[in-house]
Amino acid sequence: MMKKNEQNEPLLSVRDLTIHYITDDGVVRAVNGISFDLNHGETMGLVGETGAGKTTAALGLMQLVPDPPGKIVSGSVKFAGKELIGLGKLRMRLFRGKEMSMIFQDPMTALNPVITVGEQVAEVIRIHNKVSVKEAVKQAAEMLETVGISSERMGDYPHQFSGGMKQRVVIAIALACNPHLIIADEPTTALDVTIQAQVLELMNRLQEKYNTAMLLITHDLGVVAEICDKVAIMYAGQIVESGSLEDIYEDTRHPYTKGLFGSLPRLSSKLHRLSPIYGLMPDPTDLPKGCSFAPRCPNRCKACEERMPENHEVSPGHFVRCVLYDADRQ
Amino acid sequence: MLQYVIKRILVTIPVLIGVTFIIFTMMYFTPGDPARLILGDTATEEEVTELREEMGLNDPFLKRYVNYLKDLSRGDLGESYTTGLPVTDEIKARLPVTFRLAVLSCLFAIIIGIPVGIISAVRQYSWLDNITMLAALMGITIPSFWLALMLVLVFSVRLGLLPASGLYGPIYYVMPVISISAVSVATITRMTRSSMLEVIRQDYIRTARAKGQTEIKIIFKHALKNALIPIITVIGIQFASGLSGAVVNEQVFALPGIGKMMVDAIKARNYPVVQGGVLVIAIMFSVLNLVIDLAYAFVDPRIKTQYSRKKEKKGSETVRSEG
Repeated sequence: MMKKNEQNEPLLSVRDLTIHYITDDGVVRAVNGISFDLNHGETMGLVGETGAGKTTAALGLMQLVPDPPGKIVSGSVKFAGKELIGLGKLRMRLFRGKEMSMIFQDPMTALNPVITVGEQVAEVIRIHNKVSVKEAVKQAAEMLETVGISSERMGDYPHQFSGGMKQRVVIAIALACNPHLIIADEPTTALDVTIQAQVLELMNRLQEKYNTAMLLITHDLGVVAEICDKVAIMYAGQIVESGSLEDIYEDTRHPYTKGLFGSLPRLSSKLHRLSPIYGLMPDPTDLPKGCSFAPRCPNRCKACEERMPENHEVSPGHFVRCVLYDADRQ
Repeated sequence: MLQYVIKRILVTIPVLIGVTFIIFTMMYFTPGDPARLILGDTATEEEVTELREEMGLNDPFLKRYVNYLKDLSRGDLGESYTTGLPVTDEIKARLPVTFRLAVLSCLFAIIIGIPVGIISAVRQYSWLDNITMLAALMGITIPSFWLALMLVLVFSVRLGLLPASGLYGPIYYVMPVISISAVSVATITRMTRSSMLEVIRQDYIRTARAKGQTEIKIIFKHALKNALIPIITVIGIQFASGLSGAVVNEQVFALPGIGKMMVDAIKARNYPVVQGGVLVIAIMFSVLNLVIDLAYAFVDPRIKTQYSRKKEKKGSETVRSEG
């Protein structure tokens, strides 16, 4: 599917993706026009607090947003130059698991409890490759070995595995067909810290081995610093700041991103108190007219509440959506 | 697993003894004198007293009960007061009819209930779902004897399509099966729908979609097997109620089953037959419960693990466990 001449264009190109949940209590504006590019083999961290719309955005890319109530309202998702929005269920099905696959947040519930893990890995191979059952099982065994599970355990059921092992199975399922893109939705949140490190290390190694691009959704800035090339900070369904790892960590511009870093404890500095971001994220059914971060922003001015800030490129590839940089330009 | 089965069978024995005690006590306190009923109104008081003595009806309650248990342990359920035949023979002759009715009703309920329930769940709130749920509500609320009478009225009396009573061929089963299974069809449909609705919201269904699996396979391979446990429970309950529901329906359609036998026996104070009939139904209930419990293990590997209670704990994650 991928051709040489397409190498120049990004693997994944998202423009103004907007996803709403239409409920009886109103329209939940979960994702409000996010745009980003992801190249082959690149890892991008999508960071934000709970409810920022990260998972919805990820499901939107896979077109797995539960409908109803979810709806992809507008925008474009180009995968290897091919528009995915409006592709139709049948054609989209061929992309899932084959070209792009997903690692889910909670391995405890992501695996089917009544099907053996071997069968669950073999299943995705059988869906996308025309191979015999025997061959699929053999490939599944290899894949499980790759993620560090003995192929002898193919016949076991998910409840016979620990959380970390289950997440390895989920990773094996995601990687079984060598996808070009992996969307990892908080893959380590449900695991304890030592297992987290193992799983991240495994994902990183496999990603390099297969040259897979990865969109890592997390709220852990430490993890992002370790394995990501690019970062996008999400707030209330918008990407408020994005850029390379250095741009975000060394040259933090947006007040929200600064707030996130201020909330992190550091070993190097002697702080008695962290500086948290006060307040809560706005209700997504009733977002403010202007900048959605304005009610919590320490730098807010009148303009913040009046208009939606524009996206500014403060340095090449480093985008900030904040009124402060409007003023800079004038 | 085998250990579990043996344990379950042993547990059944005290339950059945309890059943015999309850039914024996109830028959003991039921007014009416079987000796008088057997001999009729013309018999003299002496004749009746003599027969009572002969039948052991004058013995104290406990002695009679112990005698009954002794006979029972030899597989002797006594003799019918009315025909003089062994009760076991009467039951043997009647049981196949009731059993066939219950099995047919249950199969009918499964064949209709599960697919309709699945469609209803997949197309939740569609007109199809609404109609199905309305029909299911009616199926549950309409009493089966009334439905039986209405069926007779329409299909036998008005249209003359189906025979109203008796049992002389497959066509005679149609109306009894429909009226016995109406409640079961409705209950299984509703349970399938709600169980499927719960399962298709689970994360592993999303995982299956993320793999690119087709919707049909997601429903049948991933969802149905998980949804099956509560459905199996309901099927078991419905099969059992099909057995007991037969009592009424066999009466309406004049079918020679256990139900009709028992109703007739109760009217005639024919204690041995009533006791035998209840005992047989109780045994069938117990066996059915065991079968249902074992069926869980086949559907859900987690339950199987519980049953087999591994003797050796897995040493490490990578050691293969014997399932």
